[in-house]
Amino acid sequence: MQDKLIQKLEILSDAAKYDASCASGSAGKRKAGKTDKTGIGSLTGGSGICHSFTPDGRCVSLLKILMTNYCIYDCHYCINRVSSSVRRARFTVKETVDLTLNFYKRNYIEGLFLSSGIVGSPDLTMESMVRIAKSLRIDHGFKGYIHLKTIPNASPELQTEAGLYADRLSINVEMPTQPSLNKYAPEKDLGAIHGSMNTLKDKIAEHKADKSYSGKRPPSFAPGGQSTQMIVGADDSSDKIILKTSVNLYKQQKLRRVYYSAFSPIPDASEVLPLKPAPLMREHRLYQADWLLRFYGFNLDEILQNDMLDMEHDPKLAWALRNRHVFPIDLNKADKQLLLRVPGLGARTVQKILAIRRYTKLSWVDLTKMRLPLQKLKPFISVSDYLPAIHLLDSAHFELQFKQPKQFELFAT
Amino acid sequence: MKTISITSVPGYDEWRIASRACLAQSIPPEEIIWQSSQSIQDDLFGDNGQTTKVYEPKATHSIPKSVLALFKYALCHKDASRFALCYRVLWRVIFENRNLIQLKTDNDILRLNALVKAVKRDAYKMSAFLRFRKLVIEEQEHFVAWYEPEHFSLEIKLNFFQTRFKNMRWSILTPYRAAHWDTENLTLGDNPDSSAYPDDDQIEKYWLTYYANIFNPARIKKSAMLSSMPKKYWKNMPETALIEDMINKSNARARKMILDGKKS
Ligand code: SF4
Repeated sequence: MQDKLIQKLEILSDAAKYDASCASGSAGKRKAGKTDKTGIGSLTGGSGICHSFTPDGRCVSLLKILMTNYCIYDCHYCINRVSSSVRRARFTVKETVDLTLNFYKRNYIEGLFLSSGIVGSPDLTMESMVRIAKSLRIDHGFKGYIHLKTIPNASPELQTEAGLYADRLSINVEMPTQPSLNKYAPEKDLGAIHGSMNTLKDKIAEHKADKSYSGKRPPSFAPGGQSTQMIVGADDSSDKIILKTSVNLYKQQKLRRVYYSAFSPIPDASEVLPLKPAPLMREHRLYQADWLLRFYGFNLDEILQNDMLDMEHDPKLAWALRNRHVFPIDLNKADKQLLLRVPGLGARTVQKILAIRRYTKLSWVDLTKMRLPLQKLKPFISVSDYLPAIHLLDSAHFELQFKQPKQFELFAT
Repeated sequence: MKTISITSVPGYDEWRIASRACLAQSIPPEEIIWQSSQSIQDDLFGDNGQTTKVYEPKATHSIPKSVLALFKYALCHKDASRFALCYRVLWRVIFENRNLIQLKTDNDILRLNALVKAVKRDAYKMSAFLRFRKLVIEEQEHFVAWYEPEHFSLEIKLNFFQTRFKNMRWSILTPYRAAHWDTENLTLGDNPDSSAYPDDDQIEKYWLTYYANIFNPARIKKSAMLSSMPKKYWKNMPETALIEDMINKSNARARKMILDGKKS
């Protein structure tokens, strides 16, 4: 009996690992109240704790599993598609709830990240998922994190109910364009996916707005917002198309996070798919670009010169190399927006510099004490007692010094 | 010269009382030798006369809250020089510059922030990597953890564990101190016995199964794992016993994924 549960867990966690999002997003703070004698768990604010790390470098924060890997759809990139010969399994509602609580009580996890293949129908599947979240919240007073991956084409009522129990909802767009979806996920429809995001976006906004005038706190609705994922390198969409899609999703659907997942070969793959994995560097560059777009005040045209991101240099450095006339930037005078554009200065360092500047002038020694990446910074900045030799920026060989050692091939065949 | 002995760990309260006394008598930092029970053996000035008993005078100097908050963390560091450092910073804040902690490139402040950062990180890792095992005592569930933090991080995280596991009975044992929670009250005890930690837990095998299956063998990034989960913490975590094997087999597993793919 118990061994059977181990087998299910093997299959259903293995199937969940292709999802890129791992950490819990921030969904505010929460804890069991003083008079609550049975509830368990807390949210500490900020993103959740990483309770372990696997040898692929990823954080283990949530129990990330599929409810089932049976599926009636036939998405080519997916190991669970109906035409795949993978071993199948299904957790019951109770098994999932118990496993989550048992893991949580031992301090293994921050909560549950549940997705699922589609069994029976989208609604039947979604209903079981909602029952799991509901049981955790209502029957067990669970205050930890719950992320539900909503099922495409499930009814708006069920999606709305999911929002009452989950901290975050997500629905994967998978591919940036409808033609790509047609080819790789024939049952999925970009319009429907956007429609569902839109419904949830409105609900989230509604519940947030409520707070300001009603005396009593309304039940929270997906306080951690929505996220999505795109597979990179299975279809031939360019970085430009992918990032354009992201910018749109952030703006129109108010998504908290877009995840990029470099296509990685799956067992029993379909013929339509490439055999080689997409380079991890591409995924990495997309994340960097995404970050610059959201937190560093860059716009798409600045980051992308042509259809693809520069693989050699990170997008911020690449921008700086194209815009040498802006540099050197005086760290004692430049405003925040400009400081954020200096290669080698992260948002936190910029904050620090601004704080220090109020009390004292920054000199070269200060920079060494702050342990900044001076080699990288050197040509782009000036401080009270340092100015880069101007020919540094002008030299034709300038770019060469930033050449990175070639990434070792992670998967040499 | 005045010698002050701190006999408890981390020693925050003792340090605070002693510092107030020293401030009240205007004793400058250079004239105090701080001894702590963990460092008495290697103290070069050890036989420098008798230790002075400290007393708590009325507070005369107001110290910014933000400074005290930093001391709380820094004094949980295992570095024995923490007491002297904090007193020196305290002295300088009062007599030299009230905004001293804003001078992030001042050597004392750099050191203080380094201690704070190390303790915060260690405390965070404790809340992340500590593992409970379940005992049933007289039909009541009791969760026990043995954890070896690098610094005196237990005190920093007590609040976290009390909040998160409020309705559970639990004990956290560290090499220097134990904390016991009975759903309402917290009791502390010194030098606990590690043998009270159960050898196994019926759920642990599911956790190991999960850990082994959630990782992607086609993407080994050992250095990324090690920087987030340095080996010094591994002894606290049952799943780390699997890592070597997972890495060794990863190439074969990833290859199989591709080969399987080519077959279909
Ligand atoms: S619907 Fe989801 S589980 Fe089913 S085949 Fe498509 S991606 Fe896979």
